[in-house]
Amino acid sequence: MSNKISVRQLCFFLAFVAPVGKIVLLPSRLVHFAKNDLLLPAALQFALQAGIVFLVVLLSRKGETLYELLRNAFGKVVASILFVLFACFFLFAALYPVQEQKLLVQSVFYDTLPSLFVFAPFFVLSAYLCAKPLFVCGRTWDALAPLSTVAFAGLMILSAGEADFGALQPAGASGFPAILKAFAYTSNWFCDSAFLLLLTGRLEYRKGMAWKALLSYLAGALAVLFFLAVYYGIFSDIAVRQSFAFAKISKYFSAVSVLGRVDYLFIYLLGLVMTFYCVVPLQASATCLREAFGERGKPALYSVAVNAAVLLVVIFTDLRFLSFQETVTVKLFWIFPLFTVLVPLLCLFLGRSRREKILR
Amino acid sequence: MITVTGHLKTDCSALKKLLPAEDILTFSFRADGGGEFTVLFADAVTDKELLGEQVVRPLLRYDGAPAASEVGARLTSPELKRETDLNRLAEEVLNGNPVLLWEGADGALVTGLKKVYARAVSEPPTDVAVKGPREGFVEDVKINASLVRRRLKSPDLRLETVVIGRRSRTTVQICYLDGIAVRSVAEEVKKRLENIDLDVVPDSSYLSHFLAAKPRSLLKQVGTTEKPDIFCAKLAEGRVGILADGSPIALTVPYLLVEDFQSSEDYFVPTYRATFTRLLRVFALLVAVYLPAFYIAAQLFKLQLFPVKLLLTIAGSIRNIPLSPSLEMLLVLLVLEVLNEASIRMPKYVGMALSVVGALVLGETAVSAGFVSTPAIIIIAFSGIGLYAVPNLIEVTSVVRLAMLLVAGSVGTYGIVLLTAFLLFYLCVTENFGTPVLAPFSPLVGRDLRDSLVKYNLSALCLRPETLKSKNKRRLRRVK
Repeated sequence: MSNKISVRQLCFFLAFVAPVGKIVLLPSRLVHFAKNDLLLPAALQFALQAGIVFLVVLLSRKGETLYELLRNAFGKVVASILFVLFACFFLFAALYPVQEQKLLVQSVFYDTLPSLFVFAPFFVLSAYLCAKPLFVCGRTWDALAPLSTVAFAGLMILSAGEADFGALQPAGASGFPAILKAFAYTSNWFCDSAFLLLLTGRLEYRKGMAWKALLSYLAGALAVLFFLAVYYGIFSDIAVRQSFAFAKISKYFSAVSVLGRVDYLFIYLLGLVMTFYCVVPLQASATCLREAFGERGKPALYSVAVNAAVLLVVIFTDLRFLSFQETVTVKLFWIFPLFTVLVPLLCLFLGRSRREKILR
Repeated sequence: MITVTGHLKTDCSALKKLLPAEDILTFSFRADGGGEFTVLFADAVTDKELLGEQVVRPLLRYDGAPAASEVGARLTSPELKRETDLNRLAEEVLNGNPVLLWEGADGALVTGLKKVYARAVSEPPTDVAVKGPREGFVEDVKINASLVRRRLKSPDLRLETVVIGRRSRTTVQICYLDGIAVRSVAEEVKKRLENIDLDVVPDSSYLSHFLAAKPRSLLKQVGTTEKPDIFCAKLAEGRVGILADGSPIALTVPYLLVEDFQSSEDYFVPTYRATFTRLLRVFALLVAVYLPAFYIAAQLFKLQLFPVKLLLTIAGSIRNIPLSPSLEMLLVLLVLEVLNEASIRMPKYVGMALSVVGALVLGETAVSAGFVSTPAIIIIAFSGIGLYAVPNLIEVTSVVRLAMLLVAGSVGTYGIVLLTAFLLFYLCVTENFGTPVLAPFSPLVGRDLRDSLVKYNLSALCLRPETLKSKNKRRLRRVK
């Protein structure tokens, strides 16, 4: 088994897996802040992230992992401390997607609100996945790509015809401050570049990889933007109340009333892809801890620790989601650009300084 | 090592000491020249007629010096071997090959006069083809090897023999095409087989346990086939095959999951038909595994999954059922599994009676008595049929179906999603002999998709599967 993630697998992740995490609660949050201008902040976020993704993939040309880069620049102790910080960030970044997934499960997969118990098996699966090395994810992305495509295309076919795209007009009506607010307060959904940073050195670097990654990310972004347009086109003024957008947009299709909710097959497929997407930050966190503390503990130990921590947060915030959301997306939103924009840029300089050292 | 001494009586008694069983017989005779000979053989497994024809008769008129080369030249048996180690000689006798000893001999002669009791080569019951070859492997490894050799008349076909089993001394042949199969895989197979320290090897399935990288895994890790044409096709793709004496089931490695969705017939029918049937098998398998689970999950947790009219019909059917939906489904599934098991094991004459009792009496009365509902029976029947669309995966899929049912009954649809995620991940990371089981889908190997769940025209399959990493890539030269 190759212990590197190939170009194709990375592209599949960016184009087919990562976008799935952005169609659950993000649409209603964007509408909450930017109303009919929801596409603009999303597009801005995607553009910014695309640039960072491009740069991060370029960074992996050196073939060194992030930990090795930091260790070479600052020494082992500092690198380990920084990696513990990274682990904390990924743990923090995992909280919202996991909560999102939990709410999705509770409201879409069941007729009546089930107890937290039904969501608990997620952590068992997650703990198993997190104990595996990161490069194993690549193969999963290969398998998830067609599932994600079929599910997304199926939902779009069922729903696009019902959308009134005129509802998106007039563009810019909500004003620049509202768009800026939406841009800032949705930063937690755009952490892909931070995760890619962790993949540095684990990618099978090929010429043109950064461009391919960029194009894949943009393809995924286009799909999400189209979804957002359809979503707002269907729900218009009541869109802000439609929290689990992808599970609702296709129910107005005429055939659904005859055949039953066939769209649920696509929704479950997306749920499957989403499960893997939710595990990504948890895997990243467990990996950071593993690298920071070396071989002192077994991989399963870090995995269980990370998952147990998130489970505890989920238990304690079970009935306080709105205040949890306010804290993560509004009060602490600045943490996300710090790790998804600033840190990757700084790492680029790190790489450069080391190269200069070698040249000298 | 105990060697042949040249004293006929001493050697015979030493051999008899090693082989005290009553069916080990000795036959002594004196040649015209005065030389004394003794043949040791196992009664049931030696061809005595040939022994008389090819060994005893020529020697009766022998009047020359009793040297191995000269004695050997008189015998008309085409398979002769000189051996001095008494332990090896005892092994040969047990294998059915008589051993010839004589006074003053500097070694004994082993004659290949084994009597082969084998059933005729016939169509295997587990892999019936409407079009294409109908031959199947039998229990004799030599016949099986000949079936392979007949199809691959190439000097590159290598048949390496390994003897496994401390008591059964089972002959196992490792087959591969030199230059096409990856040498390291063949060597690894040999190494793993040689490391087996087992008492008896009754069937090749025992070997597959040792060939698997994760022997406790639920998933299959070694390919199986009963058909020489499929076996040879797999060798030609770059796989390594294993034939075991006493088993009609040949093993092949590396194994890919997609193999079990393909049948030999797919290569003898038009490509669109082959693609259609392969997709149909996938659909059947998905229905078999997921339909009962989704039915339960929908009834218990998500009624919206049913269209309104169907929901009303189901509601009418389950109204008076005393059991919970999951218990009802488990009960019907259990009955199906029992019927299935019984119909395989029971004598053929009672098979019809069982079908009547099982399908009509049990099913019909259970529904009319209100124990189980009609939809549950229909769903389990459909699932049962679907499972047999991919017969090689029945062992795995029946367990997965049961697990899905349990999860659906306890956690609902999300449980199904999570279990699917686990299975998908597990499949993605499982590999044997360096080949991922889920290839060519994960990792994606674009070229190999041409003969996966879809089937391209033969001219598009000019290269061997990339997944198997064969050095010799081209199998079809382009027609100019």
